[in-house]
Amino acid sequence: MAANWFSAPAPVARRVRAYFAPVNRAAQTPVLFDPAEQGGFSLDAPPAPWISLGWIQEFTRKPGSKTSAVLSGIPAGTLEQVRQTLEAQVSFQFLSWTKLTMALATGSQHMNLLAPAGGAVPAANGAQATTAVTPQNGSSATSILLATADAAKFTAGTIIALDADYTGQTGFVGAPVAGAYVRQALTDVDYIRRVTFNVALVSQVNSTGLTLAEPLLGGIPPVGAKLQAITGFVDREGGSFYQEWSALFVMEGSQGEPNFLSLPPATDNDGSGRSGNPFKRQESGRTLASAAQGAVSGASGN
Amino acid sequence: MQNAKDSFYMALRSRLATINPERTTLLRGAVRPGILVEEAEAPFSQLPGDVFILRWQGLGVDMDLGSTMTAEECEILYQTCGTQSFGGLDRGRALSQMDEELVAMLSPFFTPKLNYTATPPAAMMTQVFWDEPGLGPIAVQRDRLSRSAKVTVYSYQEQGE
Repeated sequence: MAANWFSAPAPVARRVRAYFAPVNRAAQTPVLFDPAEQGGFSLDAPPAPWISLGWIQEFTRKPGSKTSAVLSGIPAGTLEQVRQTLEAQVSFQFLSWTKLTMALATGSQHMNLLAPAGGAVPAANGAQATTAVTPQNGSSATSILLATADAAKFTAGTIIALDADYTGQTGFVGAPVAGAYVRQALTDVDYIRRVTFNVALVSQVNSTGLTLAEPLLGGIPPVGAKLQAITGFVDREGGSFYQEWSALFVMEGSQGEPNFLSLPPATDNDGSGRSGNPFKRQESGRTLASAAQGAVSGASGN
Repeated sequence: MQNAKDSFYMALRSRLATINPERTTLLRGAVRPGILVEEAEAPFSQLPGDVFILRWQGLGVDMDLGSTMTAEECEILYQTCGTQSFGGLDRGRALSQMDEELVAMLSPFFTPKLNYTATPPAAMMTQVFWDEPGLGPIAVQRDRLSRSAKVTVYSYQEQGE
């Protein structure tokens, strides 16, 4: 049997999967990932509140930390080395688009285009919307119970947004992921549903309500939440609201070992994500770890 | 290397039995899942239809690693004439079904490496893993549609191999 050398190396980690968890923007609290306790999860069933963003490609990591020397003596010689800034960048491409991946890729405020009311005046971010309907008790993350007349307003294949009415509050709005920061009170009662991430595709409609193709991010509809149909999405160029999220990347090793890169708070890199992908972590607290059986190449986490 | 080849075949065979239990073949008097290794059977004058046939081809070795890694090229051939009940007019659908079964069989892209010369098979230390398949075009020979897919199967050589 002839044996030959092969130049192409075997895939040590053949693909990377990304996960999202919401940051509590008001309290500035990210979601931490503990690889010691959570590292053994099935890639198809991440632990709550992590949400899969699917497999990604072109994943690269670039440290942006800078160090400088403290000089002393004549002539000056290096006495100590100090860290000036702490920063790291990763970039990647999503392989599929969802509300989440679009919003994270664009980096800025991402809005839902609510289905317009009949005869509504056109507006850049969506005209006046149809009246929202209220889920009934007993609804779940995947099944929305509605009055028969309300259910008849939806069809399979529709995307819905479910969140509370806007009542004039300021600050971060939208649950469970903040979708916008309101500086001044608005008059649009549907505004939170225009920015909410609590959206889902309707897979089935019957006289008692809607069946959703995937669970709502927010889980069981809270009291006071209402839903409306969405006709599309739009992001704002030049908006001052930046998406901030907890990111987790898992490189699937060839021997079944997971390699983790966790970025508790991550945000878009100067809007360059609008061209498709990158984002940058702004805060410190880099965590890079591996599960017990994993091997991390060039690990330099702090 | 043989352990990796055996493990790859057995992984695909057990996955196929789950994905489509009805895809079976009668071979040497026994009904088995519809997948076989060409080099482990008597030579065929004509490859059987509606069965996946594994044909081992190229081999590469990387000896610069702590454990020697081998890359073995496996060609998976399959062909169909469709079913008699439809007069063969469903041969395109039948091939599509085999395409889907092949893709499903190959995921996930790794399986534990076992030594099948022992009874029961002995678990080894590493896993066998492979790339996504490179699927070739459909070849048409009269009423017979066939396709081949190539997969590179990687494994580490362990002590005693």
